[in-house]
Amino acid sequence: MTRKRLDSLLLGTAAVIVFVFSVFPVYWMINTSLQPNNQIRTVVPNFVPANFTLRNYETVLFDTTRSDFMPALGNSLMVTISTVAIALVFAFLASLAVTRFRFRSRKGFILAILIIQMIPAEAMIVSTYRVLDSWSLLNTIAGLTLVYVATVLPFTIWTLRGFVNGIPIDLEEAAMIDGCSRTGAFWKITFPLLAPGLVATGVFGFIQAWNEFLLALVVNSRPEMMTLPVWLRTFQVATGTTNWAAIMAGSTLMAIPVVIFFLVVQGRMTGGLVSGAVKG
Amino acid sequence: MRKKILAAVGIGMAAALALSGCSGSSSGSDDGADIRVWLVGTDTPDEARDYLKTTFEAENPGSTLTIEEQAWTGLVDKLTTNLSGSDSPDVVEVGNTQAAAFTSAGAFLDLSDKYEELGGDDLLPGFVEAGSYDGSFYAAPYYSGARLVFYKKDLYAAAGLSVPTTLEEYVANGKALAAANPGVSGIYFPGQDWYNALPYIWEAGGDIAVKDGDSWKASLSSPESIAGLEMIQDVMTTASSAPKDGNETSPEVPFCAGEVAQLSAPSWVKWSILAPLDAEAPGCPDQESNLGVFALPGADGGAAKVFAGGSNIAVAAKSAHPELATAALEIMLSDEYQTILGKTGLVPAKVSLADTVGTDEVAQAIASAAANAKLTPASPKWADVEAAGVLQDFFVKIGQGGDVTELATEVDKKIDDILAG
Amino acid sequence: MSTHSPALEVAPGGADGSRQVAPVPPEPPRPVHRRRRSARMAPMVLLIPASLVLIVVIGYPLLQLVIMSFQEFGREQVFGKPAPFVGLDNYVRVLTDSQFWAVLGRSVAFAAVNVVVTMLIGTLIALLLTRLNKGFKLLVSVGLLLAWAMPALTAVIVWGWMFDTQYGVVNYVLGMITGQDLHGNSWLSNPLSFFLVATIIITWQSVPFVAFTIYAGLTQVPDEVLEAAQLDGANGPKRFFLVTFPYLRSIFLVVTVLQVIWDLRVFTQIYALQGIGGIREQTSTLGVYIYQTSLGTGDYGAGGAIAVIMVVIMMAISLYYVRQSIKDEEL
Repeated sequence: MTRKRLDSLLLGTAAVIVFVFSVFPVYWMINTSLQPNNQIRTVVPNFVPANFTLRNYETVLFDTTRSDFMPALGNSLMVTISTVAIALVFAFLASLAVTRFRFRSRKGFILAILIIQMIPAEAMIVSTYRVLDSWSLLNTIAGLTLVYVATVLPFTIWTLRGFVNGIPIDLEEAAMIDGCSRTGAFWKITFPLLAPGLVATGVFGFIQAWNEFLLALVVNSRPEMMTLPVWLRTFQVATGTTNWAAIMAGSTLMAIPVVIFFLVVQGRMTGGLVSGAVKG
Repeated sequence: MRKKILAAVGIGMAAALALSGCSGSSSGSDDGADIRVWLVGTDTPDEARDYLKTTFEAENPGSTLTIEEQAWTGLVDKLTTNLSGSDSPDVVEVGNTQAAAFTSAGAFLDLSDKYEELGGDDLLPGFVEAGSYDGSFYAAPYYSGARLVFYKKDLYAAAGLSVPTTLEEYVANGKALAAANPGVSGIYFPGQDWYNALPYIWEAGGDIAVKDGDSWKASLSSPESIAGLEMIQDVMTTASSAPKDGNETSPEVPFCAGEVAQLSAPSWVKWSILAPLDAEAPGCPDQESNLGVFALPGADGGAAKVFAGGSNIAVAAKSAHPELATAALEIMLSDEYQTILGKTGLVPAKVSLADTVGTDEVAQAIASAAANAKLTPASPKWADVEAAGVLQDFFVKIGQGGDVTELATEVDKKIDDILAG
Repeated sequence: MSTHSPALEVAPGGADGSRQVAPVPPEPPRPVHRRRRSARMAPMVLLIPASLVLIVVIGYPLLQLVIMSFQEFGREQVFGKPAPFVGLDNYVRVLTDSQFWAVLGRSVAFAAVNVVVTMLIGTLIALLLTRLNKGFKLLVSVGLLLAWAMPALTAVIVWGWMFDTQYGVVNYVLGMITGQDLHGNSWLSNPLSFFLVATIIITWQSVPFVAFTIYAGLTQVPDEVLEAAQLDGANGPKRFFLVTFPYLRSIFLVVTVLQVIWDLRVFTQIYALQGIGGIREQTSTLGVYIYQTSLGTGDYGAGGAIAVIMVVIMMAISLYYVRQSIKDEEL
């Protein structure tokens, strides 16, 4: 009994330490966003806002001298959601191919997926820009989505492959014996079992696409096509004061959709379904 | 070269098409061309933006002008890709030290035959040099900013000092202020702030690089430069308590926190310091009566040679409407437009408009600083030296108390390597 | 064709000593699928969408990058001037530059430290998640997620403030604890403490991914396997290494390889941190070096060459893993 209580005490402490360490910079971002810009860097740090203000949020959301938040939010949401959806479907199909089938170019494909992730994106910006230009996809949602899908896809296939490997093939076969087609077995059995993996890689893809800066800056150069990370930099100016408090307010707003997305899907991550099925 | 010829042919063809009446797009036609102008940052005031749009659309009926505001962050990357693609903006603003990288690459339209119309020799000479390559004129001056010294009058009075008339006096004042006020920078000088280091070198007779025939040769290790560098090291180590590896952004923060007695910074920093408490980015407006300003004095009195930051403006070589774009650029260099810029405290692109900046203390200081402003070497490779951060690293090491001669010889080699590139 | 199923290797059947608790290895795929022609075409059809996207968006620019690395390619060439081929010039230039070797050594050391620290902390947190009750689990998950979701630039700025020389919380708090005046203590000017700060930032941002992925993998380990091990008297660490780890080997390898790649490629954090303080030439890593060479100084030829060299080096590093996988028929 005491052993158990000690255990849970230790676990609770560890959980709190992890939480505090993870969240402190986030707290600092929010704390800063609630203070006037001239009070964010002081000799004795303000651990709570000394002069609480919502002004920075007003600036970020309603200041007409800068690009609007709403269109940028719309662009970001469209690009990110399409990226995640397309990448997950494509990656699911590809990971099935490389785990559940044997074919000649299989190893080649997996190696290619691995190598693609090693290429430094910074070195390919000019070429990537040209490709989109030749397809007339500059300054479009579709163009940016296409690039992001390609960026996220190798990772997603690579990781999902690991998860599919973890699902015993007997389950599919049992379903097939029960009269499912092979495709049916994939969709009815493997796909739901992959939920934790899909969620983990989906969250990854979401965050990647949501926060990507350099490509979005270069490819979608028209102000009305800006995404949120690019919009955020409009508060950082070389000549004149950088409004850091506003950047922090903007960053805080930017984090909200990610948290919502995560809270919606996180239930799937507990894997109750999986262990149940495996046990069954 | 080929690019230039193509561009010239392009203009010729466009003009011919316009004459023959089968224009698909170009000048003065009423097919509603839209000219995209990239302005960087918020420096260009709204009044000027409105003026540009209204004037352009009145002079070119049927065409429209859209101003797309860009950020300084990542500007070079953005220009490199977008100016080379098919969705190129028509008119672009570029930092004066960044201009050479694009003029030499053929990214801009040759404006040589427009030089006189745009202002001729009245244009700021250093900026014309920055916007020219191989004898052709590509990027016109847009505006300049001057560097000024801001100081706290009460600290000056308490230490019994008066406004310095030579660079030496300025440094001596800085040291005296630092000694009298522990924890306060007599001269605020973070290590990465190499723009502010240049006047010491120039005033001592040295330079970063000198032109040797067709090529540039780094000269930070010349005896004159070394003398200037030693002075910088002296200031950084004895008069400044700024972070030795810090950068120059947001100097108003330590200034308002009472940690700075003298600060050399671009003129617009005044507005950051005095920003009202209810502003988007408040400063310390209570310091208004305490805030003094002067132009950095030179070694022998008068104003020192200081670095002039600012912008150039150019027409994209790939612009679909080069004539309309040039027309927009002409409006931006008109006396009326430049006067609007001058009234907001930016130094106009034309020498003859210098007095539009005003007549108060700051304006006078701006005028005398601008008159003596100097630029970085006009080598097309110079932007690469900046991009590599060579000078930031160098001055951080100077600030940390390294051996000046050794460091200067080392950095000269690095700069030479890049310039020879 | 092997009769082994790829799924088999994830199961702990191969690990000695754990056989008594391991589930029966799944059966290999029935040959029945391969008899039909449509089944033979199936993998190809499944691969088409992904391959198409990758060939168009990555393949073609990659080809250009490789070609560029054999050309004199500067800004003029970006704007249409023909690019002359210069053979191996760019490679020779890069490989004979002492700065490149310094950067490479630094990047490898930095990545090694970060991978180890990240994997260790990530795994511990994943194990912690499996043992927490619902409330704590949500608390930790949301905390990790918030760290993960913070835009990289914002994260570097906030961490930069916390380690700020003049106004940093870290100096302030450490000063309070030790009683010394640390106001003005610069964290970034010394390369070692620069990389300490960089390691904290990068670990902080990559641990959530590792923790979530491994946790998701842990949930796939059947409970009764662990229970059986417990009944056999295996203690915590032993259970992890003998039972859980073999189950997760595939995911562990996948995540480790990804971490190696990402930490070697790290760009944003280092680049942004250099703007705040420190000396660039003592702190640049491969990603920053490539950016400075290609986009910064406009030497796209050399930038391409460095990128190619970097990929080759990464392949060499992951060769062990790849070879191992091929041997195990896992790949």
